[in-house]
Amino acid sequence: MANGHFDKRLPSSLAAPAFVDTWRRRAMLAGLAFSALAVILGFLGQTMDAEHLGWQHLLRGWLDGFVMCFGFCFGGMALLMVQHLSGGKWGLIVRRPLEAMSRTWPMIVLLFIPVAVAGATMGQLYPWARYANWTAALQKGLIDHDMAHAIRWKAPMLNVTNFWVFSLVCFAVFALYITVLNRWSIQRDADTEPNVAYWRTRFENLSGFGVVLYAALLFGLSIYWVMSLDPTWYSTIYGFQYLVGQAFVVLPLALLTLIGLSKAEPIRSTFRVVEQHDIGKLCFAIVMLNIYFAFGAFLIIWSGNSPEEIPWYLDRIRGGWGVIATLDVIFHWLIPFSLLLSRDLKRIKSRLAVACCIMIFAGYWDMFWLIEPNFKDAARNLHFSFGIFEYVAVPAALFCFWLVYYFQQLKNRPLVATNDPHLAEILEHDYVHA
Amino acid sequence: MPLPEGIYGLMAEFDSPSDLVHAAKAAHAEGYRRMDCYTPYPVEEAAEAIGFHRDEVSLVCLIGGLLGLAAMFGLETWINVWAYPLNVAGRPYYSWPAFVVPAYEWTILYAGLSACFGMLALNGLPKLYHPVFNAPNFRNGATTDKFFLCVESTDPKFDVMETRSFLEAHTPVSVVEVEY
Repeated sequence: MANGHFDKRLPSSLAAPAFVDTWRRRAMLAGLAFSALAVILGFLGQTMDAEHLGWQHLLRGWLDGFVMCFGFCFGGMALLMVQHLSGGKWGLIVRRPLEAMSRTWPMIVLLFIPVAVAGATMGQLYPWARYANWTAALQKGLIDHDMAHAIRWKAPMLNVTNFWVFSLVCFAVFALYITVLNRWSIQRDADTEPNVAYWRTRFENLSGFGVVLYAALLFGLSIYWVMSLDPTWYSTIYGFQYLVGQAFVVLPLALLTLIGLSKAEPIRSTFRVVEQHDIGKLCFAIVMLNIYFAFGAFLIIWSGNSPEEIPWYLDRIRGGWGVIATLDVIFHWLIPFSLLLSRDLKRIKSRLAVACCIMIFAGYWDMFWLIEPNFKDAARNLHFSFGIFEYVAVPAALFCFWLVYYFQQLKNRPLVATNDPHLAEILEHDYVHA
Repeated sequence: MPLPEGIYGLMAEFDSPSDLVHAAKAAHAEGYRRMDCYTPYPVEEAAEAIGFHRDEVSLVCLIGGLLGLAAMFGLETWINVWAYPLNVAGRPYYSWPAFVVPAYEWTILYAGLSACFGMLALNGLPKLYHPVFNAPNFRNGATTDKFFLCVESTDPKFDVMETRSFLEAHTPVSVVEVEY
């Protein structure tokens, strides 16, 4: 909109400010501290706990942290594609942080290897891998009839070869998408303004199919990596819950990044309250969508009352787990919903940052509730052990190391995409939007 | 009640929201308080510029929502536990998961209705007559592409000559007198 009141210009340097290095250093130190804690807890868990599951817990914590980091990286990619499809000023401002998240994919592949080797190939995590010979296990009394039945008939999908192949194929497809999305983004910035329509169409064509493909593949991955920890159970909304769960942590992380960067140029000039408010509203929508899926799944299984489905919830409610489940609802819905309901809160950076931190924490909490009760020693029996604190130490360490990588990627590119018609608008004052 | 006579206020017309906001800010700084902005779409900064204060619509909406929640959850509990207890597949009479969805629906329904009618009531709507429609340029432009600032004659600082020259200093398209 043409008017005579431009006060802001695009800053001359679009590079990340110097304090991102401080962030990196802090994340690195925190990651090392948590790693040390994880090793100590593993030792204590192995020697002091009654079950002697210290190292087993470390592996479970690793799976937890891996799925979280996966969500940040590839959830960032998915949101990047959604942003290319929807357009809008909020999309322009989060584009570079999301691209930086997506470029961390090599680390996610590395994190996957221990899960696949120890968890699947060595059978330490997945019962269908450990008891692939279900007849022998059934005779020895290691598994019950239901489990043997599930392993037998799900074997065409749940076997170690397919686990590896499917996961690696997914990584390859996603890596291809990430490479192309990032390369085009730089080429688009270098191109001239009249070609914007061409680039926009290109991105839309890539992303439209990409979003659908990602949703489908993520469904499979969530089954392989987490749902199959209990092969007897199944849910048709499980994959979508992961999709929403990723948006639930990726959007707040993007917001936190922007709020942190807004202390200095170039983000100080480009991150307006309007877009901050818009992304806050989007977070609010995701909070509602998440509880809709989670409660819907619960209500349907509760109503069905079928012995094939309800044990999964009973494992996660009885024996002390009810506390964790209730707190999950409070962290995941009650607190973010109540906070984000307020219009003022979404417009005040410091308060919105608190809401974002709570949402990311809720993502962690939920993953713990999803993973740990799958294991026999923990199902319907939440009890103290040193090992269980691996769910704090390992995911925190992996997340910190992931942050180091993410901040590095943030520094690698200008923080604002420039060849976009929305750029002029985000440089205007807040009130000239229509 | 007899209709008041004379000038309702002076209305300046602007081409862009930025001009309007600048003029409104200046008017507020000058000491004018009884004035209003009229725009074809919401310009929140214009409201802020003339010293907009919080209203109670959000509170009305919250109370409405909580009432709806309590009403439906209470109704379901009353029906299922006392009024017409039914054994549904051996579940307890007080089966709260089944109550959540209707209770949620009523929360939204009550919150929405209270927000809508609370807003109308607090706005003083519906109103059958407003003097600004006496200005022909307002009738033509206010809902399409023009932005208006009207300083009302009830403002203690209002003076036809001074206020007009003040408004004209902010490069409006026009300044017109609005009659009651």
